[in-house]
Amino acid sequence: MTLDSALRALEITLRTSPPGVWIRHSVWGWPVLESLHFMGMSVLIGTIGLFDLRLLGFARGVPYAALHRLIPLGIGAYTLNLVTGLCFLSGMPDQYLWNPAFRFKVTFMAVAGLNVLFFYTRVFRRLEQLAPDTPPPFGARLAGAVSLAMWIGVMSAGRLLTFFRPPYV
Amino acid sequence: MDPVFTWIETTSLSIWLRESPSLWAFPFVLILHTVGLAFLVGSNVLVDVRVLGMARGVPLRTLERYGVVMWSGFWLNAVSGVLLLIAYPTKALTNPLFFVKLALIAIGLGMWTKLRARLSALPVPEAPVLPPRLKALAAASLICWAAGITAGRLLAYTYSRLTVDLIG
Repeated sequence: MTLDSALRALEITLRTSPPGVWIRHSVWGWPVLESLHFMGMSVLIGTIGLFDLRLLGFARGVPYAALHRLIPLGIGAYTLNLVTGLCFLSGMPDQYLWNPAFRFKVTFMAVAGLNVLFFYTRVFRRLEQLAPDTPPPFGARLAGAVSLAMWIGVMSAGRLLTFFRPPYV
Repeated sequence: MDPVFTWIETTSLSIWLRESPSLWAFPFVLILHTVGLAFLVGSNVLVDVRVLGMARGVPLRTLERYGVVMWSGFWLNAVSGVLLLIAYPTKALTNPLFFVKLALIAIGLGMWTKLRARLSALPVPEAPVLPPRLKALAAASLICWAAGITAGRLLAYTYSRLTVDLIG
């Protein structure tokens, strides 16, 4: 099975799924979910994005471990955006699956995910012990820079989706 | 107002923003407006949830450090917002919801300033328990930004007049 035929099968599955059918037929579904998607984005940047800035050395004096307590809120926001995002994808799968901006967005999300693994296996335990005024070590700066770049990339690619839409199937 | 809209829409900046095939025209301005929103509202979220009792290990006095992120996001969006307005003046300025959005932003910024002032005026600087009025202000700020985002998103669905073609 080629990639394209797999994508075509996925397109039909998503389009005929209950959330896909619901969002296409609902008048306010799409705008309401979009608003939630933008709220989730803001909360994600306000927690994960600002923690990334701390890893880069910004806001010295804010204890690393204390600020890290906001990460669960960021994971909640990520989950909200995954669910609302899957609703958009199911509503009009043909507008996403062959869209280069969508492929960039998913790639940036995957790199951000690998970076999370790197952060928790190589950086976090040592970082937790550091005093609030200690400059972040190299590994922390690297993880912060990659994460911030990926989330800005995810937002940018998301905004570019409408400019790369393939013709409607 | 129509002659004013027409004048704005026929300036070379407005035409370039709308009609240039470059991603550095309208799409890039839209990206700036989105990233700016995330940092503007994100900074508000961080301060508000800290006041509401999350991440208590973050000293209250350090919250003022996030002011520079908040205002950077705000000015980025003020500039990118004016550019979006120059591209499509009729679309936004004939929609009452656009003015609701502006009012919500003004209220949100006012609450940020008030919250900062009340935090620095606390009788006990790092008080473990914060006054209910302060928490109510933080909760109101979160609701205000959520409403502002909703108003902004709905602008794409509620406009009634368009004198130039939409792109994207």
